[in-house]
Amino acid sequence: MLLKLANLCYDYPNTKGLVDLNLSINAGEFICLMGPNGSGKSTLLRILSGLATPNRGQYWFHDQLITAAYLADAQHRQRLHQQIGMVFQNTDVQLFNTSVAEEVAFGPRQLGLSAAAVEQRVTDCLALTACTTLRDRVPYQLSGGEKKRVALASVLALNPDVLLLDEPLNGLTIAAQQQMLTLLQRLRAAGKTIIMASHNFQQVQAVGQRFIIFNSAHQIAADVSADDLHRQPERQAQLMTL
Amino acid sequence: MHIPDNYLSPATCGTLVAAMAPVWTVSVLKVKAQVKKRHETLPMLGIAASLAFLIMMFNLPIPGGTTAHAVGGTLLAVLIGPWAACLALTVTLLLQALLFGDGGILAFGANAFNMAFIMPFVGYACYRIGHHYHHDKLGLAVGAYLGINLAALVAGIELGLQPLLAHTANGTPLYCPYGLNVAVPAMLLAHLLVAGWVEVLFSLFVFQFVQKVAPTNLYQTPVKTHQRPWVYLLAGLAVLSPLGLLASNTAWGEWSPQELKQQLVQQHLGTHVPQGMQHGFQFDALFSDYAIGGLPVSVGYVLSAATALIIFLLLIRGLQRGTDTTK
Amino acid sequence: MAPTQPNKLPNWLTEPEPPLESASKATFFQRNQRHLRQLLTKLAQPTPVIQPTRWPIAAHINLIRLLIMVLLIAIINNLALLWCLGLILAGQLLWLPPQQLRTFVKSWLISSLVALIIVLPSYWLTGPATLLFFGCKTSLILANAQYYRLTTTFNDLLVGLKTLRCPDILIMTLAIAITYLRMLGQYLLLTLEALDLRTVASTKHPYQLIGALFGNLYLKSYAYALELYAAMEARGFNGHYVRAPQRRSHWRDYLSLSPDLVALILLILWGN
Repeated sequence: MLLKLANLCYDYPNTKGLVDLNLSINAGEFICLMGPNGSGKSTLLRILSGLATPNRGQYWFHDQLITAAYLADAQHRQRLHQQIGMVFQNTDVQLFNTSVAEEVAFGPRQLGLSAAAVEQRVTDCLALTACTTLRDRVPYQLSGGEKKRVALASVLALNPDVLLLDEPLNGLTIAAQQQMLTLLQRLRAAGKTIIMASHNFQQVQAVGQRFIIFNSAHQIAADVSADDLHRQPERQAQLMTL
Repeated sequence: MHIPDNYLSPATCGTLVAAMAPVWTVSVLKVKAQVKKRHETLPMLGIAASLAFLIMMFNLPIPGGTTAHAVGGTLLAVLIGPWAACLALTVTLLLQALLFGDGGILAFGANAFNMAFIMPFVGYACYRIGHHYHHDKLGLAVGAYLGINLAALVAGIELGLQPLLAHTANGTPLYCPYGLNVAVPAMLLAHLLVAGWVEVLFSLFVFQFVQKVAPTNLYQTPVKTHQRPWVYLLAGLAVLSPLGLLASNTAWGEWSPQELKQQLVQQHLGTHVPQGMQHGFQFDALFSDYAIGGLPVSVGYVLSAATALIIFLLLIRGLQRGTDTTK
Repeated sequence: MAPTQPNKLPNWLTEPEPPLESASKATFFQRNQRHLRQLLTKLAQPTPVIQPTRWPIAAHINLIRLLIMVLLIAIINNLALLWCLGLILAGQLLWLPPQQLRTFVKSWLISSLVALIIVLPSYWLTGPATLLFFGCKTSLILANAQYYRLTTTFNDLLVGLKTLRCPDILIMTLAIAITYLRMLGQYLLLTLEALDLRTVASTKHPYQLIGALFGNLYLKSYAYALELYAAMEARGFNGHYVRAPQRRSHWRDYLSLSPDLVALILLILWGN
């Protein structure tokens, strides 16, 4: 068991975020979080990444209980951040360097690698996300889709075990969406766990292995495998209208 | 650097509001000219004010594990122009004083004078000199360092003058109890040694980032055009008005010691004239006499502060009509 | 994406990353995140402002009252008069709901304590009288300002300034400032969090990162300004701020100023 959530609740100052969540995720799964806007998908990703800690209930990662006290230790927090990478919905906030190559090198430089190894990672990650031609561009001036890909490259460079992606396909062309999904599938095949939030079922139905569907009451309405979902046309129709 | 209330006498506060009035007026006019070329300058004033707020609340690390804050006056002046920076910082200080309890309400004029006038303008002047010799960053660094330290020095002087300007008969200070010998070194030392360098580093790295990433977003100095003489007049007033800081001395000093003693007796404060007041200063300042037409000095304070405010508002009002701000 | 995407993952990406040995104390990013969250919570849901139904006072009168009060306290050097002003404020506090009163007392005590600590060394310079007097006056001013903040919404402040014939440009700028303080604060917080997520070892050049953070924030604010101007123009903005609905001043508004005015007159008479 890689991740386990037990009776997890999260409240925002004046609204609910998540209500009584129970969930187990194994290594190497490809999970799609589905649901209407504001149903708790992003909140769950924030908790999984350690940016927020639950108000009630438990979050276990690698059999370690993740609490605010645990994360207060810089070393614990940094270890968690290396193991769990996240691509934000608004990738603007994620890119703060003066060139794309610098952006991707930011993570691995902290890992104590040699300059050559860092350079290797930068080249590899840019190639995987088809950003090689953007190498010397300024991230600030890139288009929305390009920013998404650079953000993914910069997260991949840290070699995380778990990849959290918040609406990663928004703003990408159909071809780029397809390539992004192919890359994610390949990463999953290499043992990475992919957890992706989306409200567009059409985009993700071909790649997801397991669909966790949130309702507007911030609870899990359904947790089904792709095979089961194929046998439920009415649920598919419902997901199409999200 | 925010001076809270009750550290400065109302007279000093009023004088500094008066000193700021011409600065604000010229800034509004200058920004209006700027708006004609770059329309976004108008909303940018408010947004830059919130940016300044965030800069001032951000903890910056300093060696030894503690933190300091930057003010960002010089940086803002370089980014959006000194006039716009002056107005944006003024709005920030107003918000901080009224809604967040940072800096005094009466001391608003003093804080605006230090942080929205001295800092951006001194900093920007240094930056321009550096720019002229093609050393933008050096100019900015010197400007940031000089700007914050000069602002701190002036704040120190404002505070340190208080025991001289306002005290009871037996010498007990009414406002800031620390004299120049304490206030100035305390303010300066902290800024010369730590806060100044923090400001330099902060300004330099932000500037470097913007210059590299989006150089067109930096403030472009307008081409010199023919300027109307009253602009110089107002600027001159602004430069001269710090003298008004000492205006209260004139008011105090113009009474004969006997008169003063009499007044003090009436106010049940004491019976002998303080040492420092035996020999009044003689300054011909703008607001030379707070005791207007036989009214007590407290009313004079109120009147002079109110007058300064009203003059400023009238100026704005008068200049507003006829010129469209958007086109 | 361009078709040059390789088909095979590099080796390093298929093996787990060895744990890092690092001891870092870069807590200032955490601290800033905490401060920003506090600010955003405060801006998102300001403490519910009590609107007295029996004795509603116009916004601009409230503002004038605050100014007169602070000015009075600063001018007065008579303990009895200060005492009276304190009583006036205490009387106003009586109308606060208990919860609000507790909030008031708590933050007032903290800010007064800070003020007192700053002035403490003057005990050795000028003696206990200054310390006592200065402490009393400062905390009284702080209490008044605190009371104003507790009973005035941001909108009230704008309406008050508008009624006092403040220039439109100032009011508009203030309104934009407070709105965008929230948006920029949110953006800065997200940037800090994103930075945090990619920080796996101690930061060697914190100032370079901070420069990038605030450089980004400046560019974002510039983009916001462009958008906002476009929106303003699209809505037919002509340089004049929309007049907020005003309540006409009643006799009781002026009556509410009377204690302060009486104190002022007393002071003048006393002074003469």
